[in-house]
Amino acid sequence: MSDAAPAFAYSRHRSTYTSLRLSFLLFMADPQWLIPSMIAPVIFGLVSFELFRGYGSYYLTYAILGAGMMSMWGQTLYGSGWATGQDREFGTLEPTIQAPTPYLFVVLGRVIWNVVSGLIGGAIVYLVVVAIAGGPPALPNPVAFVVLFVFVMLTLAAVGVVFAAFYVYTRYAGFIQNIGEFAFYVGTGCMFPVVLLPFWTNPVALFFPPTWALDALRYASIPGYVGFSWGFWPDVVGAIATTSIYLVLAGSLFHRVERHVLESGSLDQY
Amino acid sequence: MSLGSSDGPAIETHGIRRVFESRKGFLFREKTRTEALKGVDLTVERGSIFGLLGPNGAGKTTLTKILSTLLLPTDGTALVLGHDVTKETDWLRPRMGLVLGGERGLYNRISGRDNLRYFADLYGVPTSEREARIGELLERVGLTGAGDRRVEEYSRGMKQKLHIARGILHRPQILFLDEPTIGLDPKSARETRKLIRSLVADGVTIFLTTHYMFEAEELCPKLAILSKGRIVARDTVDALRSLVGGDRTIELEAYGFEDREVESLRALPGVSKIVTEEFGPMTRLTLRIRTYETTADQVRAALPGQPELGVRERRTSLEDVYLDLVDEEVA
Repeated sequence: MSDAAPAFAYSRHRSTYTSLRLSFLLFMADPQWLIPSMIAPVIFGLVSFELFRGYGSYYLTYAILGAGMMSMWGQTLYGSGWATGQDREFGTLEPTIQAPTPYLFVVLGRVIWNVVSGLIGGAIVYLVVVAIAGGPPALPNPVAFVVLFVFVMLTLAAVGVVFAAFYVYTRYAGFIQNIGEFAFYVGTGCMFPVVLLPFWTNPVALFFPPTWALDALRYASIPGYVGFSWGFWPDVVGAIATTSIYLVLAGSLFHRVERHVLESGSLDQY
Repeated sequence: MSLGSSDGPAIETHGIRRVFESRKGFLFREKTRTEALKGVDLTVERGSIFGLLGPNGAGKTTLTKILSTLLLPTDGTALVLGHDVTKETDWLRPRMGLVLGGERGLYNRISGRDNLRYFADLYGVPTSEREARIGELLERVGLTGAGDRRVEEYSRGMKQKLHIARGILHRPQILFLDEPTIGLDPKSARETRKLIRSLVADGVTIFLTTHYMFEAEELCPKLAILSKGRIVARDTVDALRSLVGGDRTIELEAYGFEDREVESLRALPGVSKIVTEEFGPMTRLTLRIRTYETTADQVRAALPGQPELGVRERRTSLEDVYLDLVDEEVA
């Protein structure tokens, strides 16, 4: 046998696809996932509806956005990092890293699944709120609402990819993520607009892509909304720019993080 | 890419050292350093099975992980198929397989077949070949009927077989097997050894770590013994036998031996080494003998004051070699 060429050559998109497929199989195999993906959005929808009732004529939109973000947050952002934590726990991180595909492309598959699952959660929230209110919210541009909803999801996913790198870096990533979760969740304006927070928090929020995307979504969905930014388009540009930075950062981080864990020998720790 | 050629050794290491640092205690302020490998030099020829023996904590898994690109050495160089394991991972990973085994390392909630599908895709096994390849491997490791069952329903032995199937899915040129038959019943272990031999027949180089001496003796034309992070011996089993004093062993058991009796045994022709062990009221003397000059009868005749003497003659086993060398290292 010659060592000139390997028997097979890996493909990045196929690795991403198989990782997405694996996430789906693991989701279907474990009934506990029903709670965050199906039951939690119903509860979030009910709570959010009560919370925003009487909050102006666009309270339904606020309710949907608030509960939708709560649901998508867990599914997309937290889930993306946690999937890598699960690889550590299962002991599958070592064989996956040892495979020729860069681990980043495996993580992308997990993140895509989490985006899909987050969107399902968002759709459930929408249906719950509409069912309680007896009708859909008044949306000036429903198409823009849907497009921006997906866009917000993608910005969350970009942060999720960076979080996943920390799960490769250390087994304590889950602990750190749990500590930062609530601050991040509030700071990015998931539940209510960032402008309602103390001013000093605003610059910090600018570093997070979901802050910009959510603000853009609110501008597009709530007439008269005054956000923290300079309007709809600056928000879109800010979201694209910060998301791009996160993706570039993730690409670089995964390479460095892999080097670090090979040096520290911590790949098998869980 | 390095200048590795296809006719050089499969593995070549020079002075591999690996130090692990860990922190514990309040605010992780207590730092501990463990030197797992203390300068390992090794050469493994292509197309053969090379065995690495050693007690727990000797550094076998650490060395396996360094060679399979899962760990960086602190010092030293390691070439696999002529390529540097620290710098040429992109070149090496598609060409190498790794079986770490054990209960972990698999997705337990999905089927064995789906586990293999996932890793086949990560290694780029074409979709058109994938199912046939998985079917062939499941049959080869004896899991045909269990392929569609969830891994959590597998016995430890079945999981071990699945680990092996995953390790060879992508037809690696070199395969690292870390304790491949641990936890297997005797029949499965024998089948696994048969499978390992068949892989060598296919041209795969195998680097095997094991605790089982008979397995190493049966499978490995050449092997090394690793103790406390150092290679204490490396050669063929026969050469290692002579290293510890001969390929024949005579064991004597009695209720104690006098010093002059031990000296009279030492004076017999070909006796190179005598190891004394006490167990309960009994004493066992193990004699390593280089030649056939001294027989069991001659030994018996040299101890006229021991009418109840138990004598057993056998070929020096790899286990004897291993224990002698590791004991010397420990001493």
